[in-house]
Amino acid sequence: MLALPAVLFTATLFLLPVLVLLSEGFRVDDAWSLQGYADFISKPLNQTVFFRTLKLGFLVAGVSAVIGYATAFSIFHLPSKHRGRIFGLVVLPLMISPVARTYAWIVILGRTGIVNDAIVGLGLSDTPIRLLFTETAVFLGLLQLFMPLMIISLISAMENLPNDAVAAARVLGANWLQVFLKVILPLTKEGLVIGGTLVFTGSLTAYITPAILGGAKVLMLETLLYQRVNVANDFVSAGIIATILITMSFGSNLLFKRIATART
Amino acid sequence: MSESFVSLKNLTLAYGDTVAVSQLSLNIRKGELITLLGPSGCGKTTTMRAIAGLLSPRSGSIEIDGTDVTKVPANKRGVGLVFQSYALFPHLSTFENVAFGLRLRKVSNGEIKKRVEQSLDTVELGELANRKPSELSGGQQQRLSLARSLVLEPKVMLLDEPLSNLDARLRLDMRSELQRLQRNSGITMVFVTHDQGEALALADRVVLMKDGLIEQMGTPTELYNHPSTVFAADFMGFENIFEVREGALIGRDGSKISGYNAPSGSLAWRPGVVSLGSGPFHGTVAGVSFAGEMWEYVITSPLGRITASTPAGNPPYPIGATLAFDLPEQFGHQIKGAG
Amino acid sequence: MGKWTTFLIIGLTLTFLIGPFFIIIAAGLSAGENLAFPPEGLSLKWYWAVFEVESFRESFALSMFLAVFGTLSALVLGVPAAYALSRYRLPFAETVKTIVAAPIIVPGIIVGLGLLRYLVIPLNFTVSMALFMAHTALVIPYAVRVVTASLENLRSDMEEAAILLGCTRFGAFVKVVLPNIRGGVLAAFILGFVTSFNQVPVSLFLSGPGVRTLPIDMLAYMEITYDPSVAALSALLAIMSVGIIFLAEKFLGFSRYV
Repeated sequence: MLALPAVLFTATLFLLPVLVLLSEGFRVDDAWSLQGYADFISKPLNQTVFFRTLKLGFLVAGVSAVIGYATAFSIFHLPSKHRGRIFGLVVLPLMISPVARTYAWIVILGRTGIVNDAIVGLGLSDTPIRLLFTETAVFLGLLQLFMPLMIISLISAMENLPNDAVAAARVLGANWLQVFLKVILPLTKEGLVIGGTLVFTGSLTAYITPAILGGAKVLMLETLLYQRVNVANDFVSAGIIATILITMSFGSNLLFKRIATART
Repeated sequence: MSESFVSLKNLTLAYGDTVAVSQLSLNIRKGELITLLGPSGCGKTTTMRAIAGLLSPRSGSIEIDGTDVTKVPANKRGVGLVFQSYALFPHLSTFENVAFGLRLRKVSNGEIKKRVEQSLDTVELGELANRKPSELSGGQQQRLSLARSLVLEPKVMLLDEPLSNLDARLRLDMRSELQRLQRNSGITMVFVTHDQGEALALADRVVLMKDGLIEQMGTPTELYNHPSTVFAADFMGFENIFEVREGALIGRDGSKISGYNAPSGSLAWRPGVVSLGSGPFHGTVAGVSFAGEMWEYVITSPLGRITASTPAGNPPYPIGATLAFDLPEQFGHQIKGAG
Repeated sequence: MGKWTTFLIIGLTLTFLIGPFFIIIAAGLSAGENLAFPPEGLSLKWYWAVFEVESFRESFALSMFLAVFGTLSALVLGVPAAYALSRYRLPFAETVKTIVAAPIIVPGIIVGLGLLRYLVIPLNFTVSMALFMAHTALVIPYAVRVVTASLENLRSDMEEAAILLGCTRFGAFVKVVLPNIRGGVLAAFILGFVTSFNQVPVSLFLSGPGVRTLPIDMLAYMEITYDPSVAALSALLAIMSVGIIFLAEKFLGFSRYV
């Protein structure tokens, strides 16, 4: 009974409109049809955007995992009084407006930004080169936006390591590399998977970063959806993109749950 | 029993589909200290929660002081409960914890001050009235929890394993403290525990429960000396129990040893009455340990596992030694029914 | 692993994560007319200019309103739900959890579009009303999660004790439960506030004439100008968030709850 208001509120305001929107992808000229999907898939732009979104998602998740792991491991080895503070600095960006966070990259990568100043100043190029509105810019923006999620997941996994596991492995004669490969990595796998899912789905469904740093040149699924609705009033495509986005984010969440519970 | 103060009639209690207590009837006299004793899952805590009103019975009724309270909600029953975890309110001071129930009853401030102070003094916490529960030791928290219930002068006081979170020494102190409180206030108490020693030491009457039923009920001495079932005997420290049939003792291996004249049923021996060194049986010492006033033995024999003890003055039999022993019939306690 | 390697790795990552904020603060300090780093001379004029922009003032007020009242409504809906989930064995607990968590999993842009097209337009809701409802729903999952965690740390026998001392169930909640989960509720409010205030995708389609949240307004503004005012505003927002989190951490130990 007590949970009812929250459930009803969410269901009518969130789920119902979303489900209707998803169904639009299956309607063409007021009739149920898969024609919309066929048309959508046949357009090269849509294919490019789809694969670009997927590629950036994997890339951001993968690079976050590598850099995030090194960072989390380093933070974990700090004396505990510093650990809390550094951890706070990692979490802090998450609380700051993503628009503000992303806008910083315009200052860095713009024509008169710090990178181009360096390039021109060092004589590597006579004129500023285009860094904004490239996949690289979007990639950097997403990486900065979502890497904290990876680091947080990994550190909490490391903090859950059995207290004496590392010490026991050392006493049994393992060197640091062996400790890492045989004890720490297997025991933090779950954190890696959770972090990876968060970063991956975050990147797939990001709007602000591709909108500011990619613009019309580097469309991703969310910016494409916005464009289809605002420019072309095309709700069939909107429904299809929405279906793809939801399928992918629910799918990776399910997959993560399976991987996380598969460990014995 | 005409003088019954709390009476449970045919009480059946269940959580969902799991029946925890079935058809339990029990009469408690005014001013009596009763312990509900039994292993975990026997239904003792469930019974207590039903008396408190935290669980409504599937069937049956509960009467307190002549009134049927089966349908009376927990906050109007006038029953006090001391929780195993104490369940103190962490955001309130010691004083306010005790005053909590009085404030709900709209007692005047002056009266509250008087009664809270008096009741804190009874449990020797008068000096600590301004502390928060987290600043009290385990024993003090326990006493605060008692004071919080007692100040409302409940008709019945329920205690759910209240001593189990204390260390051994403190537990003994609190036992006598509880007895003193109960004698002085004359309050009716129901004390739930799985500790046989605690139950026997405290209670006027012990109710031994098993699988949601009353196994045996009686004074501590009755239960200790005359357990009526194999389960009760086992719980009361008769560690060697064997079936007797047609004049013969039946070993665990099925062997029949004649010469026992008891009627069919079981015979039970405490470790102290098993005589070592001579007798018709043979076994091997599997373990011996020093227990202050005696040596305690575990002996493996064709009959089964035997526990025995001898006074510590004698030198012990070493582990691995073969020895003869006897289970003298005259010291065996007779129980109807096989184990 | 050597001490210096550790410092180097942490230093590089933090530079990547936090460095841009210093750049943006500096860029806002420019005395020139164009966005550049290093800034062309130093001045506070762009920071003042932010307050002169009418639309920023309006959208800031709207975002504040949504963040405060949306989060409060989310708590009104979310706290009872959290209580039910942690204290009772609900018949469809998993389903309830999934539905209540949906606003986090479903991409915001889809929710915003769905609301606009199937609720606001057909039912003639105002955009502000829709924004308010969307922001409420958006914060519910955070409210439920943080408050549930606080409740699970609070033993339920404390409520039973209060009831046996004479409280009603509701009375026990008000007198015993609420005072002990105050920290969690406050943390949920702060988290919800920050989430709602920074939210873009849900509000993207839910904008009308004069009705825009601050982040949406910033996105629109940066498309037409290239002066340092957006950098200055971004810097101010970042400083505001840091301030809130700093205070929350200091007085509440905020990070325990998140």
